[in-house]
Amino acid sequence: MRLKIMLVLAVLSGVILAWNLHTMFLRVPDELNQGAIFRIIYFHVPSAITSFTGFFIAMFASVAYLASKNLRFDAIAASINEVSLAFATITLITGSLWGRIAWGIWWTWDARLTSYFVCWLLYVGYLMLRRAIDDPTTRARLCAVLSIFACADIVIVWKSIDWFRTQHPGPVLSIRNGGGMAPGMEAPIWWNLLALLLLSAVLIMMRVRQDAIEREIESMRRYAHAF
Amino acid sequence: MDQNYTFMFYGFTAAWLVVIIYVISIALREKKLRAELDRVKRMVDDREHQAKR
Amino acid sequence: MSFLQQALAIAGKDLRSEIRSKETVNASLSFALVILLLFSFAFDPGSEETHEIAGGLLWLVFAFAGTLILNRSFARELVNDCLDALISSPASGAQLFLGKCLANYVLLMIVECVCLPIFIIFYDVRWPKQAWLLFLVMLLGTWGITVIGTLFSAMTVNLRLRELMLPTLIYPMLIPALIGAIQLSTVLMAGEPLGPDSAFGFKLLIGFDLIFTILAVALVEIVLVG
Repeated sequence: MRLKIMLVLAVLSGVILAWNLHTMFLRVPDELNQGAIFRIIYFHVPSAITSFTGFFIAMFASVAYLASKNLRFDAIAASINEVSLAFATITLITGSLWGRIAWGIWWTWDARLTSYFVCWLLYVGYLMLRRAIDDPTTRARLCAVLSIFACADIVIVWKSIDWFRTQHPGPVLSIRNGGGMAPGMEAPIWWNLLALLLLSAVLIMMRVRQDAIEREIESMRRYAHAF
Repeated sequence: MDQNYTFMFYGFTAAWLVVIIYVISIALREKKLRAELDRVKRMVDDREHQAKR
Repeated sequence: MSFLQQALAIAGKDLRSEIRSKETVNASLSFALVILLLFSFAFDPGSEETHEIAGGLLWLVFAFAGTLILNRSFARELVNDCLDALISSPASGAQLFLGKCLANYVLLMIVECVCLPIFIIFYDVRWPKQAWLLFLVMLLGTWGITVIGTLFSAMTVNLRLRELMLPTLIYPMLIPALIGAIQLSTVLMAGEPLGPDSAFGFKLLIGFDLIFTILAVALVEIVLVG
């Protein structure tokens, strides 16, 4: 049953992505100032939105774990955070490549990029903490608390860096050039977002199952040593 | 403009590479876990046999 | 004993043991001085550019030196199972946490108050006209560092890689507080009057302190006990 759901979601995601590739390359015209490179937005923005959605949902999963002490919620939170971090990495890399062409620089410390990088670092820390703790219950407990703190911090970091950058006027990068895209050009973003959300759902389900297998191995080992 | 297309493909390639590497790492992990599970199952069976004797 | 009394008792214990041994404060101060020395190589101490980043340098010194104090905070309790004894005492997790927070806060403020004049001398910065405002910024910023640092010290106390994990985890978390403190300190040390823009800095510091103190006090029991 579960496998079937995963397969359906994966196929759906693949179909949407393939259809979008067709739209992106053949239907949508080149953007006036940037040329072809702007098409990266169709992966850059959906990846960013997917990662933020993931981090946010993972916080709720962490709260659910603390409330219920069911390790399954911890597995869900960890899987979501890991997959979201992968998409966050994609966002940073595609953003950097885009910046190289559109603004001539690989990286700049404007408000959005800096905040996003901080967010990325927070969740790298989360994964490091997971690896550093062996006992499953302790790991679940501490990582749940960290997830709640990290999510609360994201909002504050965003606002604070925004303010900081207005104090030191730095580069202001607008992803939507001058606010608003032609409606025909905007649609693929949302379709790609749907596709990426489906893809991340599949990956998360795979990871959660792997966590369940790990727990089964642990309990069997303990059972074996009981003889 | 040419450079644009090149970089766009770099960007797409990079994005898909990250996804593919991640999926491969998940798949490898799955294989490792399955092997471990089989090993532990065999160990439990052995111990059960030994205990019954 | 009331809530505050128990927290103060624990704070008093930590401070007393620190005053007798002086090991953490000494280490932290030495480290701060070393960092000031290193900064003198990285940045030209007398130049105008350095004055522009003076606030940043100052708070980097405070943040790095503070990590030493915060790390020791719970690590010192590992010997002889003192941490278990504290957790099983009638003091709740929140009281234990607040007590440790207060102790760390006092120690970090001592280090900062010693470092600030040295920094001003080394980097040829004018003593700020509104010194009390700078002191207020130090009070607010240091509390932010202390709250996050003490909670994460409790979190990482039993890990093998404690000294590595603590800085990795807290520095991204502290960025809003550091940004607010850095911005305000730079303006104050340059002798400029605080404008309406700076009001946001204070709001940021106070908001950060409030939000994370509440969050930490709410979750510390889970971190310490489970």
